[in-house]
Amino acid sequence: MKVTITRENFQRGLSAVAATIPARTTLPVLSNILVETLEDRLRVRGTDLDISVSVQTPAEVERAGAITLPAKKVADIARELPDAPVQLQANGGRVSLVCGSSKFRLHSLSADEYPSFPEVPFDEGWGLRSGEVQKLSAHTTFAVSSEETRPVLNGVLWQVRGAEMRMVATNGHRLAKMVVKVTRDAAGQDEDLIVPPKGLQQVERLFDAEDQLQIARSESHLGFRTARVEVYTRLIEGPYPNYEQVLPEDNDKICIADRGALTAAVRRVAIVASDQTHRVRLSFGPGTLALAVQTPDLGEAEDELGVEYSGAPLDIGFNANYVLEILRYISTEEVRIAMSAPERPATFEPVGGDETYLCLVMPLRLME
Amino acid sequence: MQRRIHILPDHVANQIAAGEVVERPASAIKELVENSLDALASQIEIEIRNGGKTELRVADDGYGMGRDDALLAIDRHATSKIRDEKDLRAIRSLGFRGEALPSIAAVSRFELETASVEDGEGTRIKINGGRVVAVEEIARRPGTTVTVRSLFFNVPARAKFLRSAAAEARAVSEATTALALANLSTGFRLHSNGRELLDVPRTGDLAARIAAIWGEDLASQLLPIDYLSDGLRVAGLIQRPADTRPGSRRLYLFVNGRPFSDRFIVRAAEEAYRTTLPGGYRPVLFLYLELPAEEVDVNVHPAKAEVRFLNKMKVEATVTEAVRSGLEGIESTASLGQQATGTVQLTSRGLPPGQARPRPTAATPGGAQMALFVPGEVVPSKPSAETGEEPGWWTGRAGAMWQLHDSYILAETRSGLIIVDQHSAHERVLFEQMMRDFRGGKTSSQRLLFPITLRLSPGEMQAVEELAGVLRRVGYELETFGSNTVIIHAVPNPHPHFDAERCFREMIAELAHGSPLVDSARNQHERVAKSFACKAAVKAGQPLSEREMTELFDRLFASELPGHDVHGRPTILRLSLEELARRFGRS
Ligand SMILES: Nc1ncnc2c1ncn2[C@@H]1O[C@H](COP(=O)(O)OP(=O)(O)OP(=O)(O)O)[C@@H](O)[C@H]1O
Ligand SMILES: [Mg+2]
Repeated sequence: MKVTITRENFQRGLSAVAATIPARTTLPVLSNILVETLEDRLRVRGTDLDISVSVQTPAEVERAGAITLPAKKVADIARELPDAPVQLQANGGRVSLVCGSSKFRLHSLSADEYPSFPEVPFDEGWGLRSGEVQKLSAHTTFAVSSEETRPVLNGVLWQVRGAEMRMVATNGHRLAKMVVKVTRDAAGQDEDLIVPPKGLQQVERLFDAEDQLQIARSESHLGFRTARVEVYTRLIEGPYPNYEQVLPEDNDKICIADRGALTAAVRRVAIVASDQTHRVRLSFGPGTLALAVQTPDLGEAEDELGVEYSGAPLDIGFNANYVLEILRYISTEEVRIAMSAPERPATFEPVGGDETYLCLVMPLRLME
Repeated sequence: MQRRIHILPDHVANQIAAGEVVERPASAIKELVENSLDALASQIEIEIRNGGKTELRVADDGYGMGRDDALLAIDRHATSKIRDEKDLRAIRSLGFRGEALPSIAAVSRFELETASVEDGEGTRIKINGGRVVAVEEIARRPGTTVTVRSLFFNVPARAKFLRSAAAEARAVSEATTALALANLSTGFRLHSNGRELLDVPRTGDLAARIAAIWGEDLASQLLPIDYLSDGLRVAGLIQRPADTRPGSRRLYLFVNGRPFSDRFIVRAAEEAYRTTLPGGYRPVLFLYLELPAEEVDVNVHPAKAEVRFLNKMKVEATVTEAVRSGLEGIESTASLGQQATGTVQLTSRGLPPGQARPRPTAATPGGAQMALFVPGEVVPSKPSAETGEEPGWWTGRAGAMWQLHDSYILAETRSGLIIVDQHSAHERVLFEQMMRDFRGGKTSSQRLLFPITLRLSPGEMQAVEELAGVLRRVGYELETFGSNTVIIHAVPNPHPHFDAERCFREMIAELAHGSPLVDSARNQHERVAKSFACKAAVKAGQPLSEREMTELFDRLFASELPGHDVHGRPTILRLSLEELARRFGRS
């Protein structure tokens, strides 16, 4: 193999892929990237076996071939190279990299040892504007569970239903759900996919919002691609718990609060909340919301803000972190909180805006 | 009418007294050695033959007696140590009744050789079964030697109760050891049939004495305590929880320099170890109580083996606090490599720290005022927990903390480094937290979006039903369903990696079937708190962020007994800079 590539293209290709390379791995080949020639391009691939990414970048190909390179080292080298064309040439087990007066010779593993990428039938897939997936993912992935006993909850449920698409994530204590209307080309069928958040994050990172994505799934994998970029992720096996059944329908105590003011107040009182439970108590009364925190060994805090509320007075406790997180993802000026009782779920929704977004938090109760 | 009542001749009265004071060779040795100590001996030589049944001898280099004193000494109620009733209320010497020598002399072939420091002239008195058979002038150096042969030769009933020579020798050795532990600045040597059983040089350091008696191994397992509260000082050496073993052990109590036994004080000391030891494990304890002589009555037991405290409750509470204060410090944790036992400074017998020891009331000109203990101020060997200044604990320096194999946390300390077992440490934190919450705090419980449904065995189901109230306080809100199903609606949430379902399953299995951990609990609350702490604590293998590690350390060092988990394992292992230097050949 022998190719010449601009320093800029070389670096761009590497940094796109480097993020998927596992920091520590028991399989040495995984700390490498695979560099292959296409007609007038290079294709750079990286994988951690769960997520695989491939990026193409223009290059002058003199002699076709495929090599592997140590990912971290090559990314570091590319960053430091002078602004001159980079020439890569494979020589048996070695790769020489020449750029201006700089010369490197690097050890390389055989390209045959590199794991093959998952096969997904793109001809049976569907098309979608990248921005829609990115928006759903950006609003839901935060809510997945990090605990390993219920693997389904480690993923985001992506439901594709005709012209409607939803993502839902939960760790069993709180849940985020977003719905968008989409125009899909072709005869897309309904899909229920459970996607690891890491895969969706690559989709958010590597595609532009306006990119028209091709999406397809195999039994175990999901693939996204444009002409230039490909992202594959493993799918988590279901079934996903029936979340619709637990979404409250009779929450009749409604509060409309200023999102900024509520966020600031929760953050303030949460400073003295217990490190362990982060509990904050919200007391809703006519026109006011009082916040209180009591931590036995530390102290207490109180705050109050004016809100729209006309239901019966209600005291309800939450993990302040859960509330703050939700308020960060809701982007409208006001937020609508709907509740029914201190032990029942509360929902937070944007007021106005064109999103159908709902976050749910289960209360944190005091046991005496 | 003829009188029926008459006064008993002296030798009969002495024989009766002997029955109470002198029970076996060991009690004779104890009385004689106490006399030597009261005479400010700096070296005491003890020899026994045939367990002391054939012969026992105690020789000292104390201030000795002149001829007149020596003749008086063998009379009943002849003592130089107290004068009146008032003195009896504040006894500072080991002897005070004036009955030990005549009692021993009444039941043996007894020989007293003594010379006082001032007149250099010696006296020998021989007594057979209480009758003086010889008083001679001899030449000898100052000091006293008492030889007792054929103990109980004239009281066959008593001789019959003596045990084997080996058993009697053991008892002698035990009595001598107790006195040696109480009087560090006196050297002791004990020979049995010409074989050395004990040879401890004078010292100022309790740990050195313990090492001389039992070896460095035991000494290095002990940590010093020194605690003063309201005129009562409790000092000594106690065993690190991690070094305790089940079964027999060493247990020594002293009050004002006097060995005594008191199971309530032992219990009070063990109370401080609670939750740091596995069931059946008992610590080695050397506890020295010092309090004003007026506050303890030593005249309640014929052999003075027991004492009576004016304020027993206070003494027991202080002992618990004192031992607890030792277990709170970093010194109580396990350490790698050599470890010097801290020194404990003990003051002279019978006095609040700082005061000098009084002279015996008999004139003893020239008798050097040697302290039985090394006099010293109360030097706390460990900074008190209240000051918060724990020089040994973690420096808290950012970046000076590493997780090893996702299981241990290594951190820099002012004096070296510590390795913390993340699971054990968190166990301690959760246990104390849970017990606090049970005592009146509130626990919070996270409601679940998807309730957990579990099937349990009949035994587990029964445990759940019995413990529903306590489990609720832990944070588990349950509903039983049918005969074998429980639905969990809300769970505790002690840390972000917490697995509520697995914790519940493991906990209920343990509570239903028992385990050494929960079976050592004292009540239902403790039982549940122990099990919860163990099952809920972060597991080994769990990667922790620097923030999580810092938080764990903050909470660990804020707990009462940071160095010990609830199984009796250490949570912290120390490695000192000195040990590092030694290993690298730098010292
Ligand atoms: N080894 C000794 N050196 C110097 N004086 C001694 C020695 N042994 C005994 N005496 C003197 O003899 C006295 C009588 O001793 P004895 O042991 O009988 O009574 P005690 O020690 O006064 O009281 P107790 O009966 O409580 O032991 C002592 O008070 C002391 O003055
Ligand atoms: Mg005496």
